[in-house]
Amino acid sequence: MNTTQAHAEEHICQQMRRRAFLNRSGIGLGSAALGSLFGADASRAWGQESPSGMVAGLPGLPHLPPRVKRVIFLCMAGGPSHLETFDYKPKLEEISGQPMPESYTAGQPIAQLQGQELRAQGPLTKFRQYGEGGLYISDYFPWHAKMANEICVIKSLQTEQINHDPAHTFMNTGTALSGRPSMGSWITYGLGVETNQLPGFVVMTSVGGRNPQPIASRQWSAGFLPSKFQGVEFNSTGDPVNYVSPPRGVPLPQQQQIIEAIGTLDRHRLEQVRNPELETRISAYEMAFKMQMSVPDLMDVSDEPKHVLEMYGATPGDGSYASNCLLARRLAERGVRFIHLYHRGWDHHGGLEKYMQICSDLTDRPTYALVTDLKQRGMLDDTLIIWGGEFGRTPMFQGKGGVGRDHHIKGFSMWMAGGGIRGGTSYGNTDELGYYAVENPVHVRDLHATMLHLLGIDHTRFSYPYQGLDSRLTGVLPSRVVKEIIA
Amino acid sequence: MAEASSNRSASAVFAKMFTIFSTLIYNGWLIREFARSLPPCPPPLVDRTMIKTTWPLLGISLLLSLLAPRLAKSDEWDFNRDIRPILSGKCISCHGPDEEHRGGGLRLDREASAKEPREGVAAIVAGNLDSSELISRITATDPDFRMPPAEAGKELKPEEIEKLKQWIAAGARWSEHWAYQRPERHADPAVENEGWCDSWIDPFVLSKLERAGIQPADDADRVTLLRRLCFDLTGLPPTATQTTAFLQDTSPDALSRLVEELLASPRHGERMAMYWLDLVRYADTVGYHGDQDHNISPYRDWVIAAFNENLPFDQFTRAQLAGDLLPDANVDTLIASGYNRLLQTTHEGGLQPKEYLAIYAADRVRNVSAVWMGATMGCAQCHTHKYDPYTLRDFYSMVAFFADLDEAQHFKVGGNSLPTNRPPEVFVLTKQEREAYRNLTGQLETLRQELDRVLAGTAPYREQLDKEIADIQKQLGELAGKRRKTMVSSAIAPREIRILPRGNWQDDSGEVVLPAIPEFLGALTPGQTRATRLDLARWLVDAEHGAGLLTARVMVNRLWSLMFGRGLADLSDFGGQGSPPTHPELLDRLALEFVESGWDIKHMLRSLALTHAYRLSSVPTPEQLQRDPDNHLWGRQNRFRLPAEMVRDNSLAISGLLVESHGGPSARPYQPAGYYRHLNFPTREYVADGDHSQWRRGVYVHWQRQFLHPMLKAFDAPSREECTAERPRSNTPLAALALLNDPSFVEAARGFAQRILALEETADVARLKFAFHETLSRQPEELESRVLAKTLAEQRAFYASQPQAAEELLSIGLLKLPENVDRVELASWTQVARVLLNLNETITRN
Repeated sequence: MNTTQAHAEEHICQQMRRRAFLNRSGIGLGSAALGSLFGADASRAWGQESPSGMVAGLPGLPHLPPRVKRVIFLCMAGGPSHLETFDYKPKLEEISGQPMPESYTAGQPIAQLQGQELRAQGPLTKFRQYGEGGLYISDYFPWHAKMANEICVIKSLQTEQINHDPAHTFMNTGTALSGRPSMGSWITYGLGVETNQLPGFVVMTSVGGRNPQPIASRQWSAGFLPSKFQGVEFNSTGDPVNYVSPPRGVPLPQQQQIIEAIGTLDRHRLEQVRNPELETRISAYEMAFKMQMSVPDLMDVSDEPKHVLEMYGATPGDGSYASNCLLARRLAERGVRFIHLYHRGWDHHGGLEKYMQICSDLTDRPTYALVTDLKQRGMLDDTLIIWGGEFGRTPMFQGKGGVGRDHHIKGFSMWMAGGGIRGGTSYGNTDELGYYAVENPVHVRDLHATMLHLLGIDHTRFSYPYQGLDSRLTGVLPSRVVKEIIA
Repeated sequence: MAEASSNRSASAVFAKMFTIFSTLIYNGWLIREFARSLPPCPPPLVDRTMIKTTWPLLGISLLLSLLAPRLAKSDEWDFNRDIRPILSGKCISCHGPDEEHRGGGLRLDREASAKEPREGVAAIVAGNLDSSELISRITATDPDFRMPPAEAGKELKPEEIEKLKQWIAAGARWSEHWAYQRPERHADPAVENEGWCDSWIDPFVLSKLERAGIQPADDADRVTLLRRLCFDLTGLPPTATQTTAFLQDTSPDALSRLVEELLASPRHGERMAMYWLDLVRYADTVGYHGDQDHNISPYRDWVIAAFNENLPFDQFTRAQLAGDLLPDANVDTLIASGYNRLLQTTHEGGLQPKEYLAIYAADRVRNVSAVWMGATMGCAQCHTHKYDPYTLRDFYSMVAFFADLDEAQHFKVGGNSLPTNRPPEVFVLTKQEREAYRNLTGQLETLRQELDRVLAGTAPYREQLDKEIADIQKQLGELAGKRRKTMVSSAIAPREIRILPRGNWQDDSGEVVLPAIPEFLGALTPGQTRATRLDLARWLVDAEHGAGLLTARVMVNRLWSLMFGRGLADLSDFGGQGSPPTHPELLDRLALEFVESGWDIKHMLRSLALTHAYRLSSVPTPEQLQRDPDNHLWGRQNRFRLPAEMVRDNSLAISGLLVESHGGPSARPYQPAGYYRHLNFPTREYVADGDHSQWRRGVYVHWQRQFLHPMLKAFDAPSREECTAERPRSNTPLAALALLNDPSFVEAARGFAQRILALEETADVARLKFAFHETLSRQPEELESRVLAKTLAEQRAFYASQPQAAEELLSIGLLKLPENVDRVELASWTQVARVLLNLNETITRN
């Protein structure tokens, strides 16, 4: 990342700090004045930590009245088949086993099936309709069926990348190029963080299903945005956050003594060298110390009643998707802005029936529990939940160890729920074979635009100067807010 | 200025009416605003340029000009500094090189187009505001007429409008984009205080300070200067011996001898490589998908050696881009040609080779143009650059230079082993190892001859000879075992390169292109044959007929940033959107000096180190804080947190653990368990080094692109997926946690404590003084001693009551505990050492 391309905002923020510093310090800086430097109220300029350690959003944001405050993105990594989840295609069943009509596939990007004979593969499960809107949900997802009135299924998603790694990058940053900020970073950059105890953008992962595809930390990178907006990964084993625990043999009170000594010496130095960066550093140590307590507190779910643990099916500390869903709720309660869960196991090139069952067993019920729990706590109204993979799967057969499907990008399904979303409905459609999104296609860019809109951000006015361009999450090509799914 | 054209003249009349009207309103507003914002003291320097005015547009403007406290002369307008950034930022995305999106056929990136009358109206008419359509449009109140259009979201600020007006009124002097002008040999600027200047560079700095009426800061104290030089030139803190020697050396050439010593240190190449490896995106893994290891560490060692040997930068360039094609190619240039293989690659199942060849090609052009030309050519992959004169054709013509690289093999043979296969690869020894090998072979030969002579001789002598021979053979065997594989460039028949419309790799409709340099920069004349990577490399460093002076400017700007903390100009973007140089004349002279010195990097670093500007204190004076808060005038040095690797190296050096050995396979420091759990193909267990490699410098740490070591990452080291010319410098809680709790730092603190306890001196006060001085090269102040003494007392009390806790703390790390050490004491001092290693001053270059 390049800092001279001005980091215009960072610059403003530095200026503010300098000004604040000068105003308070005058020429000589007595220790009394120094005390007020850390305790006194300061106007919350963007990116500046307020005395309480919270990071304010960009001035002028939100552009619109926000419908939600936070996002929980449930990424089903590997790419779940839309044809065995929410997109019921009887016609595909009819021609199952026959050659796929070439009118569909000619000249199209193809992943592992390159050079192979393409045959249609009918749905590998049964579908039923649920809820007031009669949503089609497959038999693999009985708990989803119970919340059919809460979710809006978009059946016409499209992406541009057909391999896992770039497809995740595309889903998260709007481009396959490396070095761009993830959506969680964009959102915390724009709207700030409402907690001084935890990072604003948290990532958790779980595994289970077919050979889990890798996930790069690039997926939660702040790219060219200031580093403080990067996603922080929470671990289910070992340190919940890397290095958050004091070293062995140093209990918290002793750690606190160390941090206080560092603070005292740094403040003393600040008096002499008038370095505004020092202020930031001192507050970083303060926040670091808070995290040493708040993170373990967050991860310790022993205060959750039994019925809640049962609803999620979570065994504390097992690192499962169920535990992560429960932690997602706890993070949401504590003011975390963007919570990104990855469940790795959906890459069903073969053995689809077996692995779909495993993935469903691991994720179906906890997802339901998360939605229900938030709803019961009155938090679903200001939370946006998004469920989906980095792409869908081919209507064509692939047989890598039993019946399966290859990667597919021209039409697949995701769902949204929560504040502002028309639950119990579906939007868009693929053709009768589930190949192309033919009705109301929704590009990844549109998904981003819609998500930002619900957060009160106009995606066309939300940019950051990078390499001479005003870079946006939604890029330069046309994109739209899918207003039809918003209540 | 998009224009509907048919009723153009009518609109022009309206425009003029609007101009007069809106100017009246606008100036009225400006005066009010100006009066309101009058500061109690002289305004900051940067703001002053906004209010210089000499032209009598209207009476009201005159009034404004009277209010302006200091007037600059009209000939002081610098197009590149004052005007181009406005045009570029607000106008050129629609009125620039990009034909497809150009509004009304007007270009504002070229003087001719901007001043050319079109149906009697020109955007810019020098000296005439009323006739300049640009002014009419940017001041129009009718939203349909006003530029930039509201939907562009690029509204001009009042002060920007004012600048444009004044510049046009003053004659609208245009100049070519600064980066593409040939550097001139500007005369040394005249300065009043000649005595202040240590070198020819200083007058360039001082003259601007004098003109602004700002005093340079005082000189830094000698300790600060010493630490600064050590960090800048070797990336390590001074040793206590170095400190004492330098402080005692009062001879006039003490400083220059220190500089020589540091430049000659083998640590210098490591420090320089740290930066270069960011630029060329060196990493130990492929980057995409499975992020498997690949074989490339000999390239890293070659870079370090090249900087240590002061390989001229032109040779350095040619070796990397075309080391395989050089007439005098050898093992070293072949290793260097690994540069072309540093990009991210994949062999994910289901990849489409054609797609990835296109991705690789684009990656290479982005990097070459960024590293050597300071250009953001990546923009031209899909469309003609919106701000700079790079076209789609330029982009794919650059791609064609690399069409001969044999890169597709790994799609098939890559495999999920660690490391993966990325042929072409060769087994090599480093230069030093090869020298050692030669020496040993020579010795062996001598011994064998000796043996021949004494074959009939006495037994004991023969036995000794046999032993020596066996010993050398063993050493040779060990050396041979050190051979490492490394990826190299190898030319095959170039594949066909087409222009990809909108960057779409599936679109074969584009024209086939041959290798060529960007058209606006000229053309290569390779004769009958197709131009090669070597032609490109030569062109990049050909100061007479090629882009050498551009390259030189880019590089000296980066060398300046290593010595001053920031570039004279934007470090990544020499294009229209980058910030122009604060001192363009100085940048010119430095570029020429670089070329004339024979592309001598050490010469340039030495020249910068021996300026007065370099020696200044980094503490701003109150006047500077008011008037030049961002130090655009370099009236003081800059201070900044050390780069990630140096944060590590510094702690290791203070602790006495640092292992100073050159090169070799990458090192693996402690890392949180499970950090690689998201990697697959294959799944990975990180095994930290269990020997001295644990304490090697950051430049040698295994660079896993997808999961960079969390400590390096917390301190803003880049993943090296793309070129990084300037790292951000953040201060986050994650970085604080790493420095506090990463076992590498805890172990370093213990190592440091062991050093402290090994002192003969046993009094706490003396030991604290020693510890403080080892960390910061200065004596503690009274308050500092007190705080540390308090910490020591607190920790002693605790560990005395909890000896088990002391055992636990001391069990962190590989470092052996001294025999019979008092565990409570050692734990307590380890805690004190942790405080010292975490101080802001410890990790700051002042």
